[in-house]
Amino acid sequence: MERPVYPFAAIVGQDQMRLGLILAVICPELSGILIRGEKGTAKSTAVRGLAALLPERDEVVGNPYHLSPDEFAVYADGLGLDTAAPPSVERRRVQIVDLPVGATEDRVTGSLDVQAALTQGSRRFEPGLLAAAHRGILYVDEVNLLDNHVVDLLLDSAAMGVSTVEREGLSVTHPARFSLVGTMNPEEGELRPQLLDRFGLCVTVSAETDTASRIEVIRRRLAYEDDPVAFAASWQAAGDELAARIDRAMRLLPGVRADDDALGRVAATCIEAGVDGHRADIMMVRAARALAAWDGRTRVSDTDLDRAGRLVLPHRMRRLPLEGIAQT
Amino acid sequence: MSPRAPAGPPAGAPLYPFTAVVGQTAMRHALELVAVSPGIGGVLLRGEKGTAKSTIVRSLAALLPSGRVRTLALGATEDRVVGGLDLEATLAGGAPRLMPGLLTEVDGGICYVDEVNLLDDHLVDLLLDAAASGLLRVEREGLSASQETAFSLVGSMNPEEGALRPQLLDRFGLCVDVRGETDPGARVEVIRRRLDFDADPDGFLARWAPQEEALAGRLREARALAPRVGLPSPVRDMIVDVCRRAGCAGHRADVVMARAARAEAALAARTEATAEDVEAVAEFVLAHRRRAAPPTPPAPQNPDRPHQDAPGEQRGEPETGPDQQQDHGARDSPPGPAPERTAEIGETFTVRDLRIGPDQVPRTGSGRRQETISGDGRGHYVTARPGRDARRLALDATLRAAAPHQRDRRAGLGPGDPRRNLAVIVEPDDWRQAVRTTQVGSAVILVVDASGSMGARGRMVASKGAVLSLLLDSYVRRDQVALVTFRDTGAEVLVPPTSSVELAEQRLRRMPVGGRTPLSAGLLAADGLAASLRATNPGQRQIVIVVTDGRANVGLDGRVSRGAQDETITVAARLAGNGCTWLVVDTEHTAGRRTRAAAGLAAALGARCLTLEELRADELAGLARTARRAATHPTSPPARS
Repeated sequence: MERPVYPFAAIVGQDQMRLGLILAVICPELSGILIRGEKGTAKSTAVRGLAALLPERDEVVGNPYHLSPDEFAVYADGLGLDTAAPPSVERRRVQIVDLPVGATEDRVTGSLDVQAALTQGSRRFEPGLLAAAHRGILYVDEVNLLDNHVVDLLLDSAAMGVSTVEREGLSVTHPARFSLVGTMNPEEGELRPQLLDRFGLCVTVSAETDTASRIEVIRRRLAYEDDPVAFAASWQAAGDELAARIDRAMRLLPGVRADDDALGRVAATCIEAGVDGHRADIMMVRAARALAAWDGRTRVSDTDLDRAGRLVLPHRMRRLPLEGIAQT
Repeated sequence: MSPRAPAGPPAGAPLYPFTAVVGQTAMRHALELVAVSPGIGGVLLRGEKGTAKSTIVRSLAALLPSGRVRTLALGATEDRVVGGLDLEATLAGGAPRLMPGLLTEVDGGICYVDEVNLLDDHLVDLLLDAAASGLLRVEREGLSASQETAFSLVGSMNPEEGALRPQLLDRFGLCVDVRGETDPGARVEVIRRRLDFDADPDGFLARWAPQEEALAGRLREARALAPRVGLPSPVRDMIVDVCRRAGCAGHRADVVMARAARAEAALAARTEATAEDVEAVAEFVLAHRRRAAPPTPPAPQNPDRPHQDAPGEQRGEPETGPDQQQDHGARDSPPGPAPERTAEIGETFTVRDLRIGPDQVPRTGSGRRQETISGDGRGHYVTARPGRDARRLALDATLRAAAPHQRDRRAGLGPGDPRRNLAVIVEPDDWRQAVRTTQVGSAVILVVDASGSMGARGRMVASKGAVLSLLLDSYVRRDQVALVTFRDTGAEVLVPPTSSVELAEQRLRRMPVGGRTPLSAGLLAADGLAASLRATNPGQRQIVIVVTDGRANVGLDGRVSRGAQDETITVAARLAGNGCTWLVVDTEHTAGRRTRAAAGLAAALGARCLTLEELRADELAGLARTARRAATHPTSPPARS
């Protein structure tokens, strides 16, 4: 039997990181989260654990592109998919796709199918990681070490929600809308500003300083290593509860309202923080709405805005120190 | 199942409508002009992140008669951009057949390059040639073809990520500097519309359909009218005058402005362009062409002369030989807290060809771009060339090279030959290797001594001039740059690795100066930076240039110590041969008594040591280059005095 991953619900502390990850799941339009922090702060563990909590959605089966039924209608012809029979649809859990730091360009965008080319002489597209991550989560550990060219490709598809491949005689456009979840240790270098801006949310994690919490971290880690199956089972109920709450929040989200006062506050905060462009404003409203939905409310409150600001603004600010924003 | 790829992108997710963008009137205006008159030569949208640059260009497609806005992906390969051999058709038909590239498909439309400053130079050249000549030449794999294509180039970029080559800059007819809205009401409207669109794209599009149709109609009429718009001679004179006063090089600005003025008149449904039309478009034409000031070549001057406008500089008499203030060591540190000042940037000059060491990775070609035939698949695959190393095979190019010969080769196979089962019979002659490029050739880490001794007798001014010269040189060669300074008790990364020379220059200008000299800390900081760059980009070369007089007096513990000099040499010896290329620029005054401490440092590092004066290229060539830079790149400062 496969060793179960460390359960998300069993992570001690790191509230801001856990909240950020959950919000990114509830509202994919936040386009993901960047987790900065020193080594050994459960960054990767949290992302791996998240997989079990992800919601399900409709997907056309029998193709590697994770298309929704609507997208299938639009893209199937262009991608050379079989449109003769009506597509069969099933519920699938949102997927997490790993983008390794050493990934080459052709693995990311996809490339010419070697086998088809050699044996049939035909030009066929073999989809890459961007296709695999569509409507899912693209996870990059050590995102600051990613090859520059790969970053360019990510920016390209993040901007439009599609990936256009113009290489090796291929010309293919397929949808590639994903949440980008990145972890990094700032000691090893910073991110390019353009990529930084693509992450809707950003949290900084540090090790727990409270003795009791640290002891609890050790205790749970040892319990997990001694018997992963039993440990996972003991956290199953807590995980299910989280997943159910995420599900409820996602249903609630479309009905969450942010009134004009709230929008005015967002605009004023962003102007004061001196952010570039308007992405911060939009992300801040999205995050605030997701927070309201997570708390089971349908109206954005001032507290939601403050908490959203703390997740959206730190990596976008040019002038003010972190303390200046959220405390109004 | 058809493996055939589509000719264009399908009408995918709904696009945010052009007319629903809040504010950004300049950007919209410029794009309307280009939609009316493609001869203008495209638009460059320069601006900060998140200002709807991409959104607005893509939404323009709905308003064009051809409906064609094709995005050139940054990962595109040459064969897809200009066209190449159609593998399937060639195998099926036996004769070489051309598959048109993206630039042919975009005929009559707009070719959009997001992050155009990141596009590979190789592709940029191809793009420019095609846009300017309207002709696309394909010479590959035994094919020789040329096709006509007329398209407008629209590029967007965030200057933070690096500048655009001056040649490319000038090729864009118009340029708009884009900023976010700062009016709170407008910002709220931006958010509100975006949320409305997200919540119900179809409903949103339906609500904006009347505005979209009205604008599409207006553009259609203007496009028909534009060729008939007259340009009275007073208006023509005005255009010439405006461009001349702006100091534009060449005649491109005049021609573009005339076309833009006519398009402007056509948009207003007039048949004659007026002075107001010229005024309305002039900024778009001049934004990226204007010279900061008339170019005045710097008079050859002694760079050591302290600049009069450098307040707080310690000045000695240049003529009086060894200066007491230059004497170094803890004892002459000024009493009280170390004075913190900044120094002006001295005269800039052309840096001589540094010819830094042999390459560590095999590279071919020359010039700005770092080309490698890479085996590990890193970098961006642009094109292919013949080669016999199977490990670096570019499959697509190899197959295309083999395709035309299939009939003959198949005929030559014996009946039992296993290769009969293959669709393509490949011979070693067909083998092609991938040529990959990385965007930045090297990373230059400048380590600048900002201690008090450097302030003596204007050395800091001259050194800053040298550092800026090195930065500009890196800009031209498209290197990444980083700036590390050390002073008083430690080192600081003033500019993390960036391609933006503007950023580096700003920080250099405000760099604090004063205090003691923790040279070892500076060396270690630079080495750490180089190590992290190596981790991200193994093919990259790191060049560390240490600008110092070489006289350390603070140890790694941050304390003043007599042993600091020895410690520095020990550290330097350990760092030598760690993978970076080191270079020491000795800032010590050549006229006075010299300690030659920098030379000792260089020896320990296994580096070359140049004085500030030796760093200069031939003075005559320097003058020419400075003048040219002033003409094409007004943001970088030539000779400030």
